[in-house]
Amino acid sequence: MNVFRVSGAKKRLGENRVLRGIDLDVRKGEVLSLVGPSGSGKSTFLRTLNRLIELDSGSILFKGASIIDMDPVGLRRNVVLVTQEAVMLPGTVKENILYGPELAGMKDGCDAGKCLIEAGLSADFSAKDASKLSGGEKKRVSLARALALRPEVLLLDEPTVGVDPKRVKRMERTILKAARSRGLTVVWVTHDIPQAMRVSDRIANLKKGKVVEVKNAGEFEWEGAY
Amino acid sequence: MGGGILSGLPYTWEEGLVILGLTLVLFVLAIAVSIFKRIGIAKEYTIALIRGSVQLFFTAGILYLLFEFEWWYYPIWLMLIAMILMGGYTSAKRASKMPGAYKVTTPSILIGGTIVLLILWITGAMPSEPQFIIPLSGMVFGNSMTICSLALNRLIREFETNRPSLETMLSLGATPKEAMEEFARMSVKAALIPNIDSLKTLGIIFIPGAMAGLLIAGTNPILAAEYQIIVFLMILCGGLITSLIAVYLARGMLFTKAYQIAEWI
Ligand SMILES: Nc1ncnc2c1ncn2[C@@H]1O[C@H](COP(=O)(O)OP(=O)(O)OP(=O)(O)O)[C@@H](O)[C@H]1O
Ligand SMILES: [Mg+2]
Repeated sequence: MNVFRVSGAKKRLGENRVLRGIDLDVRKGEVLSLVGPSGSGKSTFLRTLNRLIELDSGSILFKGASIIDMDPVGLRRNVVLVTQEAVMLPGTVKENILYGPELAGMKDGCDAGKCLIEAGLSADFSAKDASKLSGGEKKRVSLARALALRPEVLLLDEPTVGVDPKRVKRMERTILKAARSRGLTVVWVTHDIPQAMRVSDRIANLKKGKVVEVKNAGEFEWEGAY
Repeated sequence: MGGGILSGLPYTWEEGLVILGLTLVLFVLAIAVSIFKRIGIAKEYTIALIRGSVQLFFTAGILYLLFEFEWWYYPIWLMLIAMILMGGYTSAKRASKMPGAYKVTTPSILIGGTIVLLILWITGAMPSEPQFIIPLSGMVFGNSMTICSLALNRLIREFETNRPSLETMLSLGATPKEAMEEFARMSVKAALIPNIDSLKTLGIIFIPGAMAGLLIAGTNPILAAEYQIIVFLMILCGGLITSLIAVYLARGMLFTKAYQIAEWI
């Protein structure tokens, strides 16, 4: 079954035709990597999936229904975006993690410390001032913040950039573990082709606003990717 | 027209013209200095002075006619409407980035100002006479206009600089209302600061218009002060209500119906 079915997705930003007709299916429970050159529209595409921006034309079906007909808040709680730049909201790490659950009225069932551990940080981070974390720590807090919403789909925009090499693989493993144990579907944007081959079931290659090929991770040839 | 009915001014209007001429000499000198120092405000200043004077004399002419006119309450409605539209338009120009900003500013100024004027009227602080209605509504709508501009401008600036935070909150399932709450609060607060400051310095640095007028007209200073506080309080309330409505209405312009940040930001 498809979690997402995207067809003919087009989006112009200012003068740029950023998405030029994307066709892509995302299968339930898979980890799909999205690779492609800088500026090819990867981040923009992720932002159309949680409807942070509106398509000019084309359609996106989430579990069979057009996202246009859905309540945006409900969609975004189910399809959580972890942005390329980890933006911390004012307050402590714990407040950041509980922000979404609190608005959703499910704060009580949410354990910030557990989410932190799932994202590869220690639970002691809870009380820290979120604005004073390092770049890599912020990345992991924003992952924990997304997991706290118990989404069905995670949209990860270069989640391991800025994390030191030793921790990258550990973070990959934690993301995969969290995804598998929760039955999540993951769309994972990365520039790191070996990483894409390590973590994903399938890899989609985006060029100039179009998906030029989708392959199983094992069959992906990375010379052609850029 | 001689010294006039209300005024305690100790000279005729012809003599007043001479005094105006003398003060203009000082103005010209100041402008000359600013040209010499290349401050770059001479032209704008002069145009503003001419424009302001023409407007003021024009209004004075209308007031003069109104005060004499038995059916003054008909044209006064037109004046009030003109004040609101002008205020809405001017304030919208200050927030010109926002398409259709007048749809935010005009109702805010209308509602904020009208509530306060009604209270002034019902309590008897504003007798049904043009001498009271015109200057008081001018002050109330004028202040509402300024505050509306300040609040909107600040809010737009907050949106421009905090776009990533706003999008993060939306991505975590916040509604526009929830996402902008903090920025709306800050904008209202910032817009009210000039009012609060003038309230603080009331009577020390700043003898406001209504009181000055009453004193010149020979009112008992205590009574004048009391009246000034009533007026000031109402002007402040008007500004507060206006700014609250403005940030509320602005929400529909800053976000799309699908809870996205509007494209013009
Ligand atoms: N608000 C905007 N207005 C105009 N152009 C924009 C806007 N946002 C993004 N773009 C352009 O859209 C294109 C795609 O941007 P996007 O961020 O989606 O690329 P990306 O594939 O994520 O790149 P990277 O790998 O560097 O993160 C870029 O050329 C960018 O300049
Ligand atoms: Mg990107």
